[in-house]
Amino acid sequence: METTVSDSPPEHLSLIIDLSPTQWHLSSLDTNPQPLSLRLFISQVLVFLNAHLASRHDNTIAVLVALPGKNVMIYSSSDTIEESDHQSPLDESNTYQPFRAMNSAVVQRIDEELGAQEHGETEAPIGLVGALTKALCHINRLTHPTASANPSIAVPTPPNPRILIFSVSPDLSTAYIPLMNSIFSAQKLKVAIDVCKLYGEDTVFLQQAAHLTGGLYVNPERRDALLQYLAMCFLPSTAIRRVLGMPTQDHVDFRAACFCHKNIIDIGYICSVCLSIFCSPVPVCSTCRTKFPIKTLQRLMLNRPSPLSNGHQRTASPAPQR
Amino acid sequence: MAVLDPTPSGAQHILLPFLYSQSQTSLTRLYTRPSACLAIYRLLSPLERQIIMSLLWLESSVPASVFASWVHPNKVAKQQYDTAISSLTRLHIIPSTPGTLAKLLLHPTFKASFRTALTGGGTHQSFGVPADKGEKRSVNVEFLDSYAVERWETILHYMVSSGTGQSPVRPSQGVLYLLQRSGLMSAFGGGSVLRITSAGFQFLLHPPHSQLWDLLLQYLHMAEERRMDLVGVLSFLFMLSTMELGQDYSTENLDQTQNAMLEDLRDYGLVWQRKTSSRRFHPTRLATTLTSSLPPLPSSTTTSGTDHVASQGFIILETNYRMYAYTNNPLQIAVLNLFTTLKSRFPNLIVGALTRDSVRKALSNGITAEQIVSYLTTHAHPQMRKNVPLLPVTVQDQIRLWEREKNRVQADEGFLYTGFASQIDYEYVLNYARQLDVVVWENAESRCFFGRADGHESIKGYVTRLRADANGGGGQGA
Repeated sequence: METTVSDSPPEHLSLIIDLSPTQWHLSSLDTNPQPLSLRLFISQVLVFLNAHLASRHDNTIAVLVALPGKNVMIYSSSDTIEESDHQSPLDESNTYQPFRAMNSAVVQRIDEELGAQEHGETEAPIGLVGALTKALCHINRLTHPTASANPSIAVPTPPNPRILIFSVSPDLSTAYIPLMNSIFSAQKLKVAIDVCKLYGEDTVFLQQAAHLTGGLYVNPERRDALLQYLAMCFLPSTAIRRVLGMPTQDHVDFRAACFCHKNIIDIGYICSVCLSIFCSPVPVCSTCRTKFPIKTLQRLMLNRPSPLSNGHQRTASPAPQR
Repeated sequence: MAVLDPTPSGAQHILLPFLYSQSQTSLTRLYTRPSACLAIYRLLSPLERQIIMSLLWLESSVPASVFASWVHPNKVAKQQYDTAISSLTRLHIIPSTPGTLAKLLLHPTFKASFRTALTGGGTHQSFGVPADKGEKRSVNVEFLDSYAVERWETILHYMVSSGTGQSPVRPSQGVLYLLQRSGLMSAFGGGSVLRITSAGFQFLLHPPHSQLWDLLLQYLHMAEERRMDLVGVLSFLFMLSTMELGQDYSTENLDQTQNAMLEDLRDYGLVWQRKTSSRRFHPTRLATTLTSSLPPLPSSTTTSGTDHVASQGFIILETNYRMYAYTNNPLQIAVLNLFTTLKSRFPNLIVGALTRDSVRKALSNGITAEQIVSYLTTHAHPQMRKNVPLLPVTVQDQIRLWEREKNRVQADEGFLYTGFASQIDYEYVLNYARQLDVVVWENAESRCFFGRADGHESIKGYVTRLRADANGGGGQGA
């Protein structure tokens, strides 16, 4: 009746952290205007997560990390955490118990995952899309709890989900199609994808992800004030964002990647049947095998603004150029 | 009981008005404890929480106009923002600065403590000192739950069965005093026998969370009168709310006030101690869920504990006013008995019906139709949850109609003024009575009107004065 806490659903936040060792190394170099090391970043993120959990008792989080070639879910509120190291009682009395358990679990798992990385010559592509897909699956499970065998147990109100991506790696154009599919699933699940670009150039695809799902895309101007950005932009729930103004994107790059070479293109050719995107006119759609009339093809070839270097390739098999 | 917040985001927490009324010095003392900051933060509305978070990590103050430009320029958002700021100012979380050059910043004590709460560390020990792990005989959560339920239901059951001739287990003297002090029960016939009041009947139908806070608020008022250190009392409650269920805590670091409170809270079922002299205590679920929305009672069934269904809802109400309640809990049966006619009883089920007589009996006890409907809604069986709307419309409407029926005749005590000699006299007196706002009914043709009793003396005086001037007339009848 008068409990403030029960009138809206709790918030769920899925955090995806891009842990590319190369990019983080570059980010922490002193040649940057504001160097940001991974360690400093993690400590600020932990405070941010604490703030999210502090708001309500039943707010939940899930933390996923994207590593070169793989992705791992390292923490979820539904996990039960075994107490690994017992601190002295006096230390325990100074920290709120749920914060301490979550923070130590996250730090420990990140250390483990980074330690398990192989030191090869080249870094495998970052598994960001995999992490995003996993986060969506996790959210799907949270918001659609399976009907339990006992119908008399009432289901708790499903949480209000959000995804926040911390990105440091540049765009990976091979991941365009799976990323787009994830964006469509997120739209269907009504999940906003927030993106915080910590290092490097703006990524086109993540900008689109934020734009299409109604999330925020923030490229902090001052990385030394990251916590303030986190508290002001990424902490408010979607309900609060209707009251408080949020930074918007002035300019969204809507360019897509072609299906044949995974290049980001300005002008493309679309299959009229299945809407696949190609960087040059093709006689047969590689996706749906539709044959296009030869006359159209000739007309398109004549009208091309400037032939691309790889325009003569018409193979249907994807050939990554990166 | 609910104090409605003007913002559409929902009702305000019942404790906040009490905190508003506290002085700045006591609130500042309260804010030195990180656990208290965290607990108060949770009681606030989402917008207030966001404002605190936005200001928390700033070292300098922000001009209020800059901050306000952050709000969407529509009327609703503006109003919500203003309400939130004024609420925070009343809690002294944002110190009020006069004039147009207003700047927003957090109270330095609050800022420091809340930062500590979020980042961890420090030496404040405000989240409770766990007792040494040395002792092997630990108490499991089920035991604490059953203890809390047993204590809490003893209180409620005592209330509901008072005056019915039954003699349930009496809660302790402290609880009885609190119930009497809060007006939920009153001494009847000058003796020591307590009877439930109409406020008490309404209390029984509240959800457990607000029942708990209602009682604790009374406890706080009582603590003021008993000259206990209010800041100590509040910070202890907040500390309990941030503790871990199933963990035992040491009493060594508690001060005198808090040790005294342990005894009271033990009676309410918020904490458990092995012995009164024990050096450790366990908070129960009632205590650890104080600032959350989780159900404060694990299972409202009897403490046999095998059946956890009832906490989710157990009442099925049909369109023909029949009610099936899957429960064997004497408290729930007693509460249902307040407004239903119970027909038959089975080991796990009671069958009854809402009748005109039973609802009228409840209404005459001071329970409102809305409360009956809301009780049935909150305790509806999961199978009922598929229905839209949840309760049959016919039954809801009928309950409200029965309430209206009760209000059909309204009694006002007063006097009928008749026998005015002339129309002018009548109008003089009538105008005077209208100014006093005591006229209930008037009839110009027969030159009479009915005024409430509280205006009688003044009217009588006025008529006497009129008589002294001229030969007017006025007679009275009840």
